[in-house]
Amino acid sequence: MQTMTKKYRRRRSAELVVLGCALLANATTFAQADNAALAELPEFNAAPASLGGSPAGSGDEFRTLDTDIQDMKQLLLELNRDLFLLEEELLFPANTQVAIFVSMDVGEFFGLDSVQIKLDDKEVANYLYTAREVDALIRGGVHQLFLGNLKAGEHELVAIFTGAGPHSRDYRRGATIEFEKGIGPKYIELAISDHAQALQPEFVVKEWE
Amino acid sequence: MTRLDFRTVPTRLAVIGVALLLPGVYGAGAVFAATGLTGAIAPDFVLKSVSGANVRLSEYRGDVVLVNFWATWCGECRTQLAELNEWQATYEGAGLRLLAINLDRRWTDMSKTAAALELSYPVLHDAALEVSQLYEVSTMPASVLIDRDGVIRDVIEGYGRRQDADVLERVRALLRE
Repeated sequence: MQTMTKKYRRRRSAELVVLGCALLANATTFAQADNAALAELPEFNAAPASLGGSPAGSGDEFRTLDTDIQDMKQLLLELNRDLFLLEEELLFPANTQVAIFVSMDVGEFFGLDSVQIKLDDKEVANYLYTAREVDALIRGGVHQLFLGNLKAGEHELVAIFTGAGPHSRDYRRGATIEFEKGIGPKYIELAISDHAQALQPEFVVKEWE
Repeated sequence: MTRLDFRTVPTRLAVIGVALLLPGVYGAGAVFAATGLTGAIAPDFVLKSVSGANVRLSEYRGDVVLVNFWATWCGECRTQLAELNEWQATYEGAGLRLLAINLDRRWTDMSKTAAALELSYPVLHDAALEVSQLYEVSTMPASVLIDRDGVIRDVIEGYGRRQDADVLERVRALLRE
């Protein structure tokens, strides 16, 4: 009986030790996580400010360095632009390229919310317009809604415009065009304008020649 | 109610297990997760807000943005949203913008809760869960902290009072940059 009690006591002690270690390990993990989080804050990584004035003659060096940096930035921008154009030419070659644009005029009778495009009964674009983007369209901006590839031949484009119509009612209107895709690139414009006589918005699909 | 019998081995093992899991339940409710998104440009998205306007993330470039993912069935989410309301009021002038993205299926559930909480910042609906997948959201609530250059600086999973103070300090640090 005494042996059983001793064994029981030893087992209990071992379990209490394990429990204590588990709690201690978690506390240590927190402390390390806190330190790591604090170390990542910019204030803790900032190098101390240097004291004293800059040596004589270094002003010219800094100006030259600044000019060099500006030149390199300009080169980088030009390179980026060239790369973008090359990429576009590679992904969307002229013989299969089709681009669809959205433009807006005035906008008194229609508050644009979204435009959905289907090409040959397949949805290719669904764009939600923010207030800022609608404002840009009304000011004369043109938005490239879709850029893709199409084989030569007959195709059908369906554009669905959703927004707020006259008297702020929900408005949903579709426009369809069948076009011939030739050898060169095809540009199609979806023009939203106000039809003053009918007091309704007008949705016209135009092909650019 | 049955009393726990600490003389039995299963009970003692259960107590040790609880001790190991304890930090996950209290005090460490929020975790700064080091996901693959941290340091990357925040993926752009556009969603419809409860007010009917479309909101695009990239239009907030230049401000510090906190994107919070929530759902009506998440109690901690509602607590956090109310707290974020105070942050918006305090730091809006300094350039803090909050976006609350709801992941409920039904619009009505989201709009009722948003109206009840009287949130002062845009509440967006991600019914298709596209944005939450884009941001690899796996816990609710989850917040993504984006700096003025559009870079994701932190992903915070969960909600806890102590970590909330840390998150606020990080927000303040970004506002100072």
